[in-house]
Amino acid sequence: MDYNEKIKKNILYDYRLHITILFVSIISLAIGTINIHIVGSFNLILLPLMYSLFLAILFYVYKPIKWINKDQSKNCARLMLILICPLIVKLAVASGENIDILFNVGPALLLKELGSIGTVLIGLPIAMFLGFKRESIGMTSSICREPQLAVLINKYGFDSVEVKGFFIVYLIGIVLGTLFISFLANILCYVVPLHPYSYALATGIGSTSMNVVALSSLTAMYPDLSSKLLAYSGISNLISVVFSIYVYMFISLPLTEKLYERLHGYFN
Amino acid sequence: MKKRLSINMVLEWIGILLIFSVMAAIGNWVGFKYPFMESLIGMFILCIISLLGLIIEKLLPYDSIPAIIYISLIGLIVALPWCPLAEPIIYYTSKVDLISLTTILLAYAGVAMGKDLGSFKKVGIRGIIVTFAVILGTYFFSAVIAHYALIFTGMI
Repeated sequence: MDYNEKIKKNILYDYRLHITILFVSIISLAIGTINIHIVGSFNLILLPLMYSLFLAILFYVYKPIKWINKDQSKNCARLMLILICPLIVKLAVASGENIDILFNVGPALLLKELGSIGTVLIGLPIAMFLGFKRESIGMTSSICREPQLAVLINKYGFDSVEVKGFFIVYLIGIVLGTLFISFLANILCYVVPLHPYSYALATGIGSTSMNVVALSSLTAMYPDLSSKLLAYSGISNLISVVFSIYVYMFISLPLTEKLYERLHGYFN
Repeated sequence: MKKRLSINMVLEWIGILLIFSVMAAIGNWVGFKYPFMESLIGMFILCIISLLGLIIEKLLPYDSIPAIIYISLIGLIVALPWCPLAEPIIYYTSKVDLISLTTILLAYAGVAMGKDLGSFKKVGIRGIIVTFAVILGTYFFSAVIAHYALIFTGMI
């Protein structure tokens, strides 16, 4: 079997890809976290993960090296599912270590799931204002990750406009979501100074990569609280994975439908 | 249909996790000056638990339960104060920095996104605005609710 055939089948043999990733990561980590003082007490924080994301995309788009192509891109997408696991364990260990506080935040954890209502209340009017029709139901009824897709397909069918709308947000979420939320986590802490624990709970928004990225931003801002933040975030993510689909089915999606009917008149 | 567990699949997982462990340990050393061996041991612990979770997902018949749930539960249980292994597990995993893991993860993510960039251009600025509104809405509302719930329960 020649080399190209081999790496198509098994990503493990693709040592040039891994070395490139290592190279990108080391450069990013060596640059490290950069604090840019903007105004008053507000520091914009640039994290190594932003540089590595950016560099990797540049490597793909401008192809300064010839061994990162569509096959690598497909393989990496599959690899993500495995690589995210150790990160989840890291959060879970922090949750176990701090189990005593987490017994006490039970109500906050469950209520926080209702935060997905905010998705609809903010997202739907904006989507309809921008001229989206029924696809806005798919777009703004949730943060558009895999679990919600199953519900939407079940209800509207795979070829429906609602599902098409879902895929718009899903795709942009993959490409820009992590970058956006790392800045968002950073900026919101100054604009609306809620307790860091509240933001840590909010990082469990149902997308694991956005979860760890937002949390990385928080830990860079509050290094002393790091272990507690990880604990809150880890347990919140777990609760989210378990319950978000029910909140979606029984609360968010019906609410989106109702609100759509209401707003339909105004935007037409 | 779900793929059954096979030896090749497990070997591939082990290979991927090994590569990730070594990279993360190097990254930890470069970025955060943690001792290389200690963060490597920490990574091995994280990876062994991940592997267990991935295997359990394939072995158990419940198709709708994702591996993340098993992985979270195992990670949580082994770090509980009354678990005999908790102390070394907490010690070594604390030598692995979250940011260095996310940095490597997002480097792979960048390559993975490459192929989607074409279709991404088509959706345009309106799609981007809505996506940002959706993420902002979810994150911010969750934080506000969590904030008042934490105050109400006297946690903060």
